[in-house]
Amino acid sequence: MMMRVGMCLLLAGLTGCEAKPPANRESGQGTTQPAAKTAASAPAKPLRIAVIPKGTTHDFWKSVHAGALKAKQEFGPIDLIFRGPEKEDDREQQVSLVQNFISSRVDAIVLAPLDDKALLSAVRQATAAKIPVVIIDSGLAGEVGKDFISFAATDNYKGGQLAGERIGEVLGGKGRVLLLRYQEGSASTVERERGFTEALAKVAGIELVDPKRYAGPTRATAQEASENLLTAHGDVQGVFCPYESSTFGMLLALRSRGLAGKIHFVGFDASPGLVEALGKGELDGLVVQNPMKMGYTGVKTAVDYLRGRPVPPQQDTGVVLVTPQSMNDPEYKDLLSPDLSKYRE
Amino acid sequence: MSALTPLPPLPKPGLGRSMTGERVIAALAPLLGLALVIALFYAIPPHPRVTMLDLQTVFVHMVIVGIAALGMTFVIISGGIDLSVGSAIALASVAAAITLAGGWQFAFLNTLHLGWLNPAGAVNAFGRVSPILAAMLAALLTGALCGLYNSLLITVLRLPPFIATLGTLGFYRGVAKWVSNSMPVSAPTHGLEHWVRPVPLQEWLPLAPGVWMMLGLGLFLAAVLQRTVLGRYTFAIGSNEATARLCGIRIVRTKVAIYVLAGLLTGLAGLMQFARLTQGDPTVAIGVELDVIAAVVIGGGSLAGGQGSMLGTLAGAFLMAYLRNRCTVLGWSNFVQEMIVGHIIIIAVAIDQWRVRRTER
Repeated sequence: MMMRVGMCLLLAGLTGCEAKPPANRESGQGTTQPAAKTAASAPAKPLRIAVIPKGTTHDFWKSVHAGALKAKQEFGPIDLIFRGPEKEDDREQQVSLVQNFISSRVDAIVLAPLDDKALLSAVRQATAAKIPVVIIDSGLAGEVGKDFISFAATDNYKGGQLAGERIGEVLGGKGRVLLLRYQEGSASTVERERGFTEALAKVAGIELVDPKRYAGPTRATAQEASENLLTAHGDVQGVFCPYESSTFGMLLALRSRGLAGKIHFVGFDASPGLVEALGKGELDGLVVQNPMKMGYTGVKTAVDYLRGRPVPPQQDTGVVLVTPQSMNDPEYKDLLSPDLSKYRE
Repeated sequence: MSALTPLPPLPKPGLGRSMTGERVIAALAPLLGLALVIALFYAIPPHPRVTMLDLQTVFVHMVIVGIAALGMTFVIISGGIDLSVGSAIALASVAAAITLAGGWQFAFLNTLHLGWLNPAGAVNAFGRVSPILAAMLAALLTGALCGLYNSLLITVLRLPPFIATLGTLGFYRGVAKWVSNSMPVSAPTHGLEHWVRPVPLQEWLPLAPGVWMMLGLGLFLAAVLQRTVLGRYTFAIGSNEATARLCGIRIVRTKVAIYVLAGLLTGLAGLMQFARLTQGDPTVAIGVELDVIAAVVIGGGSLAGGQGSMLGTLAGAFLMAYLRNRCTVLGWSNFVQEMIVGHIIIIAVAIDQWRVRRTER
């Protein structure tokens, strides 16, 4: 009895909310059909665009946020919501976020998927609800043009190639080079490793030492793996790591053995600690992505699509090699330590 | 614990009393709280409307915590606690994924040359014939085994439930990583993902099939709790274990039944977790045990035992999913939501304490 009364109350409460007078959401539905809207009749109502990063703590995602805000300043009026899971392996929370944004009827979603399969059904639900999705940073095992509208990311293969060419250059074309891989099944770093090994294979005098060891997700696991590797292969002349945390872990391991600056070392991504090491010559180069451009391109693509303009299915957001010599060039300086303050809301 | 006290404390008032106005209010308190929170969020400008799609989404988001919390309600009413729920969900989701991927490999069984007697062969064959049923069995069995192990640690080794399940929290997580090689196990879903799709494929269904399953289980378990011997024994043990023992209740047997039942529900939650991610992720649901316990406590469950209701628990789970949805709709950060949920738990328990003091007077 008691239970039944309760259920009735619960249902009454819920339907009561639902029956509330509908707000003016009609205009929101129109924006999901690009053909219906011409560029001339630009919407007066701001577009609501949700940007969902993989996490919110890394500097990388702060730059993505800055890029998204830059696009907002240029293409406004945009109501930008930047929200992601706190941990970079919390797939469940990211799926929930996508679904909550679907239910709140945002106009578009820009997503950096944590997993190429786990996020697929949520992205398909968004597309089914006529909310266009732009994928940034990492791939999704879906079909561009059908499940999502565009994919904007770093050309990771090219990034690995740049690193391989740099190692070949600093070693003068001969020596043994160690590769510390990042993590099994991480698509972007596997591409970087492939680009690196294939670039090295073109240099005749260089021997690749690739014991297929993995750095793991954190700086601490990378440091441990690096120390073990350097014990087993201390005679190498060059090292490459394809990720920020693994580069940092390797740097710590090299420092503790007094090898930093003696072994030629190329890493990936910029963080304050790595930029400092690059300045000291402990790194011979950092392959740097452009997360700001990633956030910018993601939002720009969504806006273009909503305003009925054609969008490219694939977009390279750029990757460059920065050396101790070139790191003070103005164009690289902005990549290494972006000034995010001018984009704060 | 109370088994060690020489003089059993007096049984809590309220137990065995007839349905008074006091008890009706107690049962409805979680729903009133829910209504209050819904109204509060509506009062915040720009007054985000609660749409049908919002409700569909919130219900789907509460499925995993909700199903696991139904089992936790039994455990908490009996005066116990289960901290291993999150890990057991991950383990069950991995077990379901491996079954669907069609490959239970028991190397040690293969070395015995059992031929058609090899159970792995039968399991895999069954998985091919009826994949969803096989995955469900795998998840339920995994959950039940987890529950059984917890209950044996608690009854045979006489460990406090908090310690026993703190240990198995690590253990089950480790097993999940072991059987999956620490990698998410991808498997064909055979339509399982539609069970937790916010907008069901069947247009006549307002809510996803998984949600109906949870609500149905809630009603069924509410009846079990109120009308069956197991349910009444659960209240009796939680209210006063020593008295219950003196009354002739077989404590060990009942506790094993409670934890295995909770384990079955945890296994089902694990299957739903697999359906949501379309993969068995061994690192999923870390910390979910706290959400599950919070759902029970917000719903009027008492960690001292002897109190709790299925309806309240579901209301608690709904409340937390609803808060997450509203915070996203309003564009608030995660930390706001954590700060709010934390205080809802505090307020819920404070109100409960106040009510208990009033009835004791």
